Amino acid sequence: MSTVAPDGEQPFSGLDDPPVDATVLRMLLGGQLRRLREAAGVTPEQAGMKIRGSRSKISRMETGKVGFKIRDVADLLTVYGVTDERQRAALLSLARQSKNPNWWTKYSDILPDWFETYLGLESAASTIRSFEIQWVHALFQTGDYARAVTELGHRFAGADEIERRVGLRVQRQELLTRPAPPRIWSVMDEAVLRRPVGGAAVMRAQLRHLIEVAAMPQVTLQVLPFTHGGHAGATGSFTVLRFAELDLPDVVYIEQLTSAIYLDQRADVEHYLEVVDQLSGAALTPAATVRFIEQVAQET
Amino acid sequence: MTSEKGAQMGTEEAPAQRRGGARKAWPATFDTSVANQARMYDYLLGGKDNYAADREAVDAILTIYPEMAFTARANRAFLGRAVCFLAGDAGIRQFLDIGTGIPTANNTHQVAQAIAPESRVVYVDYDPIVLAHARALLTSDGAGATDYIDADLRDTGVILSQAAGLLDFAKPVAVSLIAILNAIPDDDDPHAIVATLMDAVPSGSYLALTHMASDLLDRETQDGLEGLRDRMPKHFTSRSREEVARFFADMDLVEPGLVRVEEWRQQPGSAPDSADRSSMWCGVGRKR
Repeated sequence: MSTVAPDGEQPFSGLDDPPVDATVLRMLLGGQLRRLREAAGVTPEQAGMKIRGSRSKISRMETGKVGFKIRDVADLLTVYGVTDERQRAALLSLARQSKNPNWWTKYSDILPDWFETYLGLESAASTIRSFEIQWVHALFQTGDYARAVTELGHRFAGADEIERRVGLRVQRQELLTRPAPPRIWSVMDEAVLRRPVGGAAVMRAQLRHLIEVAAMPQVTLQVLPFTHGGHAGATGSFTVLRFAELDLPDVVYIEQLTSAIYLDQRADVEHYLEVVDQLSGAALTPAATVRFIEQVAQET
Repeated sequence: MTSEKGAQMGTEEAPAQRRGGARKAWPATFDTSVANQARMYDYLLGGKDNYAADREAVDAILTIYPEMAFTARANRAFLGRAVCFLAGDAGIRQFLDIGTGIPTANNTHQVAQAIAPESRVVYVDYDPIVLAHARALLTSDGAGATDYIDADLRDTGVILSQAAGLLDFAKPVAVSLIAILNAIPDDDDPHAIVATLMDAVPSGSYLALTHMASDLLDRETQDGLEGLRDRMPKHFTSRSREEVARFFADMDLVEPGLVRVEEWRQQPGSAPDSADRSSMWCGVGRKR
């Protein structure tokens, strides 16, 4: 279920060095095409003939080694008997995204590979759940708040680089207003609201922005107040990405200072899912969260 | 949330309510090592919000009763058609959905608000994690509204008083009890619970329910499932067609009456072409 590469390789686990020219999206889609082909009892040779190609073309597609032609994917789905429009649309959308040059390509000089991988996953996800203990979620940051956070992480960067990094973060937020945006369900520790990153004025504006964001239909914000006591998210912030395609596994993303960990093995993912479920159950309801943020804004 | 109207709705004489006061221990603590009915259902429907224990419990059921997968899907599809009928032909604009479960596609408010955007839906579940999912995912924008109540079906007083915060009990309400009455043993008098709920809503209100059928399973399957009892999350009672019909006492069942979930108002031509048969009774009744 959670294997996205052939032969039992685990491309996500402890992924510090992603494969050079195989994006996560290609691997996800390729793995899915292989499962569908096998379920339909179609051999790679037969599949290759249907798309005017060879056995090895199918193999390269299924291992995420080449880009996809939308027409090829559509034809293969038909050969594999995938007629459900929702399922087809989800897979074709993956194919399209794995093919298009990514918007963040122009930032590649300041983007580590491990983070480009995340951006690809984030833009393909249908649901993003996160637990934040330090910062406001990047998708919800104001420009000033993002600048303050960026300066903390890049103390020796010049003004130009800082602005480009802030620009990247702001552009990333276009995810919120694109057609069919993902659901974003974020639980924040109260500490996130209390730490006045960038100073009181920046933080007050950030808190007001959070209240606006919370009103977006696809966004759910919950605060875990200090009064709750201890909680299950002991090791820190993490994100669980879910994809619309039924057979794609959830992916857990944990960012570190110089790299990131991607987990897609079921046992690992379920542990994080359980923690984020627990946190969501323990945190204030979305309605109470907005009142709580308003209160903190007054006190900031 | 509790309004004056809700307080009047309180049905303090009902047996279920009298017992309700002492039941604080109900909401299950979140323990993924034990199978959970909502998550088992999620797994049966192909969802991703389930854990190993849930899948093991379902897989054990499927070895004895493979039709459970079809039954779960047919049950879910019935909910969609029933809400479609209620918001459409029946003109209902208020829904009380008790036993919400983990959100999936075509939830009550989505179906209702697609037909009548102003529809108001109150979701009720006793599982705090399920309710957290509902609050996050079952939100309405535009003219309609949704609310969420953390309560056990047996606590009818709590449900009715809190639901009155969003629903106007002077106007018709559709109460849905989808695959939840199986969780109420005879000792807790499920018929009295349903009667209490329907007493609180005016004439022209509706009850939509599905129930696992004791008389649609052969003896061997029933014995097999009985053998799994210790491995299942909680009490489970199947009931006969006659017992299910009694939930609609003094109500008028709309066509086609009490039938298997896959048989209720299928669109012409969309009836299941397979030989699959569910083992769940369903019905929609109108209060006189």
